[in-house]
Amino acid sequence: MIEAFHVGAVSRGRKLWDGIDLAFDEGEVCVLTGPAGTGKTLLLSILRGERRPDEGDVVVGGNSLYRGDSPAVDSFRSSSGIVPDAFPSISGCSVRDLFLLSRTAGESIPAGERDERQEKLLSMMGIGGSQDWKLSSLSVTERARVALAAELFRGPKYLFLDMLIANAGGEWTDMLGGLFRALAREGKTILLAERTFPERWKARSGEEGIAMGPFRLFRLAVSVDGTR
Amino acid sequence: MIGRSLIWIDWKRMRGALLRESAVRFFLFLLLGAIFEAMLLSGGINRYMSDRWRVTAVLRLSVTAVEGEGMARKAAGLPEVHSAEYRSPETSWKEFVDAYPVMEALRAAGGNPLPGYVEIRMRPDRFTEGDFRSVETVLKPLPEVEKILSGGETLSRLLRVSRWMNIMFWAGYCILCAVSFSVFFLQEKARATLLSGDFEYLRERGVPARAIPLSRAAAAAFAGGLLSLAAMGATVSIFIALSGRLPAFSRVIGSYAEILSFPFLIPWALFIPASTILSGGASLLGWRAAQSRPR
Repeated sequence: MIEAFHVGAVSRGRKLWDGIDLAFDEGEVCVLTGPAGTGKTLLLSILRGERRPDEGDVVVGGNSLYRGDSPAVDSFRSSSGIVPDAFPSISGCSVRDLFLLSRTAGESIPAGERDERQEKLLSMMGIGGSQDWKLSSLSVTERARVALAAELFRGPKYLFLDMLIANAGGEWTDMLGGLFRALAREGKTILLAERTFPERWKARSGEEGIAMGPFRLFRLAVSVDGTR
Repeated sequence: MIGRSLIWIDWKRMRGALLRESAVRFFLFLLLGAIFEAMLLSGGINRYMSDRWRVTAVLRLSVTAVEGEGMARKAAGLPEVHSAEYRSPETSWKEFVDAYPVMEALRAAGGNPLPGYVEIRMRPDRFTEGDFRSVETVLKPLPEVEKILSGGETLSRLLRVSRWMNIMFWAGYCILCAVSFSVFFLQEKARATLLSGDFEYLRERGVPARAIPLSRAAAAAFAGGLLSLAAMGATVSIFIALSGRLPAFSRVIGSYAEILSFPFLIPWALFIPASTILSGGASLLGWRAAQSRPR
């Protein structure tokens, strides 16, 4: 469980928000929405232990990410997947290189299974056979899907996805919604930051979501019947 | 898994660049190893000097050939002496006449006016003023010895020049080591800078920040050790081949037997751990320099 207590942030000398309390349970899909410049990316990086909040604290499984010991933070990060808004600036040139890096960060995957698993994930994202494609040749939507596939390759427990739905494109919204619900049913926690809540997705917390400072928080209905 | 994967992260991500860098490193290790080995074997210019400069123990006229041979054996047994050879009065006279043919008439007056002598060559590693004095001290009081000719003031000057030349050689070698280390450092810094996005990717995904430079340094040290081992192997092979074909090489650098002798294998074995440490150190410093660059 990820819990944020009275979290506040200051950026360029300006207070963005403060006193935000959040809790994300295991097996939940949450969408945090807000206009551009409100600090969604910043909040995501605070929640994944990357940027110390100017106020408050974030606790995962009883351990503080900012006041606790470094191994606990590393352990939380190693069980997290991140798809940033901007594509990671890695040196490799092909999709295979990105998977190699993801594999290095994660647990051991038997050599025989690697290619098959990569191909399955890429096919699921609609870009099968792209392992040797150059990253620079991918479109924005393809990059978003490749980045997600590379994260899913490690099987992370927590997923932090920044503007993924917007970047992946409208035609992938339903498929990704289904995928996240399936992952949540396996006990994974998925946290998305978007400008708006995807139209066809069904939120447990109602169409307006819950107001949290400049953000709105939507919890996705995970079960088929609409309950969690 | 993380540790083992991280050790080879540079190899996995930048294989081509790493191969090119390794070729440069092998060449530098070969150069450093060859100079190091040559300096140890030759003692700088000491071997050349000891080959050219001889101490002469002039024997009394009354000394027989048997006594002269015995004297040469005694001199050869001294720790400072590389070899000692007895020259009979007759040989002495022939050498004299070869040098000064007009003096041949001197013999007409009677017998051979020249005494026999023992020609002594110092060991290259004992080519010092103290060692010369020690040999003189041992030989001078012997009843067979008339006088010792070791060069006097000329020798002192020569030894001074040779000492300064050796210091300059070693200083040059240290500069070459520093230049090589700088090359390694720049290679590591450039690679760490190019891979900084990858390391950031790994760090964000829970790879401990300290594990990345330490794993890379371990890999660099291991590769450095292997490269220096290969370079030293190549150096020894080249030296053995040259000492068999070029007599001048043996006179200036050393013989085949000396290259593989125990005293020269110890510094040889030290060169490899030193290269390993330098390579690992260059990796850590390169990482640090790349991290401190403004982004």
